[in-house]
This record gives sequence, C-alpha cells and structure tokens, in this order.
Amino acid sequence: MRLSDFLQAEVLDDNDVSIGRVQDVRLIQDGPVIGTWGAAFSIEGLIVSKRGVGARLGFHRSNVKGPLPLKALFEWIFRDARLVEWERIRSIEEGRIRFRGTYEDLKAPDPLSG
Amino acid sequence: MKKFLEITLGILTAIGGFVDIGDIVANAESGARFHMSLAWVVIVGVVGIIVYAEMSGRVAALSGRAVFDLVRERLGPRVALTNLLASYFINFLTLTAEIAGVSLALQLASSVNYLLWIPLVAFLVWFVIWRVKFETMERIFGILGLVLIVFVVVVWRLGDWHTLSATALHPSIPKGEGIPTYFFFAIALFGAAMTPYEVFFFSSGAVEEHWTRTDLMVNRANVYIGFALGGILSLALMASADLVLSPGGISVSHLSQVTLPAALTIGKLGVAVTIVGFFAATFGAALETALSAGYTVSQFFGWQWGTFVKRVEAPRFHAVVILSVIMAAMVGLTTIDPIKVTEYSIVLSAAALPLTYFPILVIANDPDYVGEKTNSKFLNVIAFSYLVLLVIVALATIPLMIATKGGS
Amino acid sequence: MTRAGNRIDAGLGLLDRQILDKDGKDSGNVDDLELFAREEGGAPYVMYILAGPGALARRLRGRAGAWLESAFERLHHSEDPHPARIPFGVVKDIKHSVELSISKRGLDVTTIEDWVRDHFISKIPGAYHDPGGTK
Repeated sequence: MRLSDFLQAEVLDDNDVSIGRVQDVRLIQDGPVIGTWGAAFSIEGLIVSKRGVGARLGFHRSNVKGPLPLKALFEWIFRDARLVEWERIRSIEEGRIRFRGTYEDLKAPDPLSG
Repeated sequence: MKKFLEITLGILTAIGGFVDIGDIVANAESGARFHMSLAWVVIVGVVGIIVYAEMSGRVAALSGRAVFDLVRERLGPRVALTNLLASYFINFLTLTAEIAGVSLALQLASSVNYLLWIPLVAFLVWFVIWRVKFETMERIFGILGLVLIVFVVVVWRLGDWHTLSATALHPSIPKGEGIPTYFFFAIALFGAAMTPYEVFFFSSGAVEEHWTRTDLMVNRANVYIGFALGGILSLALMASADLVLSPGGISVSHLSQVTLPAALTIGKLGVAVTIVGFFAATFGAALETALSAGYTVSQFFGWQWGTFVKRVEAPRFHAVVILSVIMAAMVGLTTIDPIKVTEYSIVLSAAALPLTYFPILVIANDPDYVGEKTNSKFLNVIAFSYLVLLVIVALATIPLMIATKGGS
Repeated sequence: MTRAGNRIDAGLGLLDRQILDKDGKDSGNVDDLELFAREEGGAPYVMYILAGPGALARRLRGRAGAWLESAFERLHHSEDPHPARIPFGVVKDIKHSVELSISKRGLDVTTIEDWVRDHFISKIPGAYHDPGGTK
C-alpha cells in the first residue's frame, strides 16, 4: 500500500454520498518502534475536501502568517475540509474509500503548527 | 576588497541577467524607438527582481534549498513537471542565444563569421563549468562585465539630461508606433529584468557558496547592489541609444549598432571596451543558463547537483549541463537569428514567471524553512502586489505577441 | 478517542522533500511512502520511503506517468521492478529535508547515478578533481 493510493481517492459516506477527495493524509507518531528513528508514523486520518487547488500550500498551518490575502483565500477555499479518522474507515477500493457516518459527524482537522 | 568580492555573485547574476544579449538589444532598440518612455519599466523590473532574489537567497541561506526544489514541494510533481519543461525550454532558448551572442561579440572583434566561433564558445562554456571553481568563475566574469559602465560614461559625456528626462518623466508613444507595440516592448523589458534563470542561478549559487544564517547581510548586499547596478546599465544602454541612434533614425537589428554610441563619443577605445563588456556579459549569461539547466532538472528529481562536489559525485547534473550545451550549439549553428530567439525567450519568461515566483513567496513565509526570518508585513505587501502584476503580465503576453507579430 | 504523538501531514511535510544522507549528499526526493498494514489491526504505518522514477511515475499519473513507468521497467533488469526503498528506521530527522543516519551508498537509490557516472562522466578528464569544498 502506497501513500499515493490514498491521495485523490473519492471519499463516500454511509449513504454513498461523496464528501470530496483525499487531499492529504495526517500521520501520527504512535506506531511500533523502527530502527533508530523511534515510533513509526501511522495514519491518523484522511484530510478530505471537494477543492483540490493549492491543498499543499500549507496556509492552514497556524505558524504560516502571510501573505494575508493568500492565507485568507486558501483558508476560505478549504473551509469544507474534514478529517476522516482511520477508525471510521469501512473499506478501501481503488480510488474509492467508504467511511462510517456522514459529513456532519466529522471534525475539521486541527491546524498543525509545524 | 574582501567585502567587494562577496557581492560578485550578485554582480554576475545581474550583469548576466540584465545586459545579456537579449537585453543589450531590447534596451537599445527600445531607446532608439521609444526614447526613454519605457525607462519606468526597467525600474519596476529591478524592484521586482530584488524582491524575488532576496526571498530566494534568504530561503537558500537558511534551508540550503534552491528554487526548483521548492517549486516541487509546494506545487506537487505534476504541476512542477510542467513548470520544469517550460522553464527548461525558455532557459534553453536563452542558452542558445547567449552562445550565439558571445560568438557575435567575437565576430565584432575578429571579423571571423560568428558561426565558426559557436563550437569553440560552447566548448569554453562547458570547460569553465567543468574546471573552474564557482567563486573564481563568478569573480572573473562579474568583474569583467563591469566595464560595461562605459555606457554610463557615454551618457555622462553626452550630458543631454534635458532630452532624456523629458520622455522618462512624461512617457508618451512616439508617432508611428502603436499602443500594442509599446506594451509588447514593456513586457520584453520587464521579462528581461525578471528572468527566472537569474533566480535559479542566484539561489543555487548561494548553496554552491555554502551560505548560512550569517550570510543574510551578504544576500541583501548582493541583491541590492548587484541588481541596482544591472538596472543602471540597462538604463544607460537605453539612454545612449536614445541620444545617438534615435536622431539618426537607426533601428537596432545588429549587435554592432549598439557599439555606435561608444564609438562616437569615446572612439576606438570605447568600442574595444564595449566589446569586452559584451563578451563578459553574454559569456556570464551563457554560464548562468548552462548551469541553470543542470540545477533545475537535478533539483526537480532530487539528484546531487553543484560544482562544489567532485564531478563524479554529481554525474547526472553534469550530464544535463553537457547535453544542454551541445544541443544549444547545434541549434545555434542552424543560423537561427540569435536576436530573434532571445527576444522570444524574454517574452516567454515573463509569461512563465508566476509559476516559480509563487512557490518562493509561499516558502519565504514558512517558518519550517526560514525560522523566524519570514517576510515582514511590509515586504509581503510589495511581494503580493508583484504576484498580482506578474499574473496580469503573464496573461497579457501571448495575445500581445500575436497582435504585434513579435514587436515588429 | 484522541491519540498522542507528533503529527505531520504527509503530503505537505514529507512528499517531494529532498532526502539528504549522513554526509549531506542529495539522495533523491521522497517520491512516495510505503505503508504496512498491521496484522492485529489498527492504522497502517510508514515502513519505507520510495525514491526514484519507479515511484514518481505513479504520482505523475496520466501520459507522463505511464511513459516514465514503462521506461523504468524496461531499464530495470529484475523480474519484479520495484522502486528504491529507504527503510524509515534510518531517518534521523525531518526538517525541510529528510535527513538519514546512513550513507546513500548503502541504499539502492544510486543505481542510475552510478550508471551515468561509470559510462559517461568518469571518462572525462578531471572528473575526480576535488573542487576543495564540501557541504
């Protein structure tokens, strides 16, 4: 399984309604210890949005402050973004991921600082 | 002297960027046709390249990463690949034009046809990159290019400030020239000042010289002094063409015509100095573009690059440089008009500019790369305004190029 | 249910970043990540960094990706061509670049680089000249 298998996959809720595509994958360092690195990164959840332009610019991070017009624009574009936690995922097929619940059950991803 | 040598990277970048073969012709031609009515464009371009290069130099000093690395990190591999192909193509056109340009300067000095010089010039460009230390290269060509100050001397001697300031301060479009042509030349001059390869070269040069946090002042000095000097030289070229060529009704289609002002005011010595300056500036630009070909491709793929490691440690970088120089020489030998090639390449660079400017603007605001040295609010106001301007220019470029048939 | 640990967005913070080996030498980009599904259940974790054309091809998708993938498979000798893998366990630090604790010579990321060196660059006089400055 590669990370790119998740990226851009369509995400469907309990009623088969699409809530957007995977724009990024949030990792959390709580996996088994590997090599000299320490705890492995494992998937916390998928960041899903219907908008794909500029998802990787990083304006949603709290320590990126400017330029203000760009930050405001991209935060506005991605206001629909939600985190689909790994525990909610029911099935993964090629290009299509289903989760338990609906859009209303999901939270916006917390802004990371780093 | 030591302090002076620290800014030769900026001087070489700026001279290679501002007074390479394309700019020599674009500036002289616009002076001859539009007097100083386009001088304001050079100033807008100089401020723009200062903003752009300062951000990229700061990011390079603090993170050790040059421009094309960052383009891919922020735009993703697909958009970055398109960007790479466009940037490589424009850079390649410029390299072709510069190799032919150096050969034209040698033709002026030797009366031997420039086509015969092309293989030798291409070999020399590669040889300098292969064999000469980065700092040595930048000092030789940066300092040699400074003799182009002869154009400032020419304008000073002519001393006709009244004529120059009349059109510089009150720009107007001369009779017989259309509004689209005026704006086409404006974009060409803007593109000539803000060429992307200057920034690829400058930021990679900062990494070649192992700049760190302590070199941020050096970065600023390089950018402010180097690019301001480049701007002054382009204005002097424009002004001397306005004063000498315009009254005689000479339009610039050949490099030798650009030496006329120096010939008329200073004599043979003036011509000799001008030719040396043209040689240094175009050769410097050929080095910049040949290296930039290797820098951009290697940085996109994450290959080891740079002349600060043994050649065998960066084999793919050197392979790209060698193949690019050989291909450019072959295209140059087809007798393609180098001046036309360079005119198109600077206009196309204006169109492609937002693609590389935008990721640098984003990263210069990202503490992951620059720590607490992110853009100040004031700089962001200017830098964002330039982003808007660059997008407008890019959108206007292609329609204007078609409407004016390339400014003819 | 909240989990504890450092968080990172993989696309923003890992993908396409430069990989530097223990000597600071450029060792490719993070072209993709390979994840390992745990038998006991739970979220998959990152096992390898994938680098090189074999991994980049899939990310490019479209025609450019297909072309790169077929070129990579033709040039690759083995039966099952797979992209160069870097075990995540040798990662030392993640800043703007991904820094490794070992030399790139011990990894299979240098296959193409070595080929270009052996067949082309090393044959030019001066190829081993030391420019006298290391990063």
